[in-house]
Amino acid sequence: MHRPDPGSFRDPASHVVFDGERVLRLLDDRGLRGWHALSSTRFFEKAVADGRLIDAKLVDNDDSSVAGALEHPRVPFISYPYEWTFTMLKDAALLQLELLADALGEGLTIKDATPYNIQFIDGRPVFIDIGSFEAYSPGEPWIGYRQFTRQFLFPLMMRSDLGVPFQPWLRGNPEGPTAAEMRNLLGTGRRLRPSTMLHVSLQARMEERMSGAAVRDDLKSAGFNAELILANVRKLHKLVEGMEWSGQGVWVGYQTCDHVGRDREAKGDFLKTALDRHRPGRVLDLGANDGYFSEISLRSGAVAIAVDGDEGVLDAWYRKGTRAAIALSDLTNPSPAQGWAGTERPSLTDRARPDLVIAYGLIHHLIYTASVPPATVVDWLASFRCPVVVEFVSPRDEMVGKLTANKTEAELHHGREQDDFERLLRDRFEIVASTPLGEGTRTLYSLTNR
Amino acid sequence: MLFGYLDAGSGSLILQAILGGAAGILVAFKAWKARLMGKRAMAETETEVDETTVPTES
Repeated sequence: MHRPDPGSFRDPASHVVFDGERVLRLLDDRGLRGWHALSSTRFFEKAVADGRLIDAKLVDNDDSSVAGALEHPRVPFISYPYEWTFTMLKDAALLQLELLADALGEGLTIKDATPYNIQFIDGRPVFIDIGSFEAYSPGEPWIGYRQFTRQFLFPLMMRSDLGVPFQPWLRGNPEGPTAAEMRNLLGTGRRLRPSTMLHVSLQARMEERMSGAAVRDDLKSAGFNAELILANVRKLHKLVEGMEWSGQGVWVGYQTCDHVGRDREAKGDFLKTALDRHRPGRVLDLGANDGYFSEISLRSGAVAIAVDGDEGVLDAWYRKGTRAAIALSDLTNPSPAQGWAGTERPSLTDRARPDLVIAYGLIHHLIYTASVPPATVVDWLASFRCPVVVEFVSPRDEMVGKLTANKTEAELHHGREQDDFERLLRDRFEIVASTPLGEGTRTLYSLTNR
Repeated sequence: MLFGYLDAGSGSLILQAILGGAAGILVAFKAWKARLMGKRAMAETETEVDETTVPTES
């Protein structure tokens, strides 16, 4: 019995279903023609070999309502553009443009241009929507241009030109800002640069003037051709390549704090013991920072899913070439289920499905900064229904002193002492091991669910 | 080709020709002109129809 992918329904020619752990793409006649056109190119073989395009094989299909079925390898962890850092979205944009240029070189086109067609596997962007390729019909423009600007170019401009994070915008509106909205955001001065004038101001103006006009036949008759798309794609590639963001964040440099350097090795050893004990396939590293513990998890053979709310620190780690799956998300407000019918894009928690959770250097921030009651934090850790390694930080810890410097006792939740915390843990977990750290204000616990 | 599920945006399509460089600007101009001519032809047809259907005073 096939289970449809709730995020794959827009293209009538191709949609993804799950058959147990297998990932199948069901094609109609048009989709099958697109597949034959793609699979017969040199570009396809090379892009799959390079890891830029997900592999696909035609498989037997007993469903008479579809023309053909492809099987893909499973993507270990699905992430969304609103969970990516600046450089991740930039790399995805460059991949989109490079694949389009390569495809046009062999008479194909990509019929859309959305980052939802790209996933990060082993730390590299991979184009996963094989159904987006089809034969290029001479004279046709690039249908995905506007989508490319709204979902790739403008969000990148928000970060590099304005210093504004694009993720909240894309989480609120996955279509991305319109050209008119981007024009308003950029202001008069920035609108005068040539790239902004063309892709933002002129596009906004032309969209306003020509809304709803049928122009494709006019363009074809006027001599539009693939060379014009390629020229635009090459210029866009250069523009995106030149975009930079300095990658500053509150937590960049956290690893230079005294307690971090002092405790890292002991925390790593404690984690290794838990990894040896549980042999998890998937590790969820909550508050991953620079990924030190995710890297240990990767070395144990697990898939590491690293969540942190600081774009700067995650971006720096991504640029070093980690194989971990990165998800930028504030743990006090993680990505919810959203999109069509509230199911198109599942929540971060539903996608993570961990076999082991790391919560190092985290829960005191939830308790003291985000004012989440300690019992609620422990309930949340238990909700993952898997082993957990967690670091407890006492109210007398130096860092907690900083977090509570401007709070009175009446503004803090009760039950913050270690005895209280252990009682809460025992209600939900078996404490398999514990060890004090450094100066005695921090303790590590290895837990299994009751 | 069927691209119906994605709204490409008419202005953005014409803009692409301009973004393609000098050759593209000529294409955009021709497409623009064809559109204007089409509009004019349509307007003239509508005027003729109007003239035949408007009742004359007697």
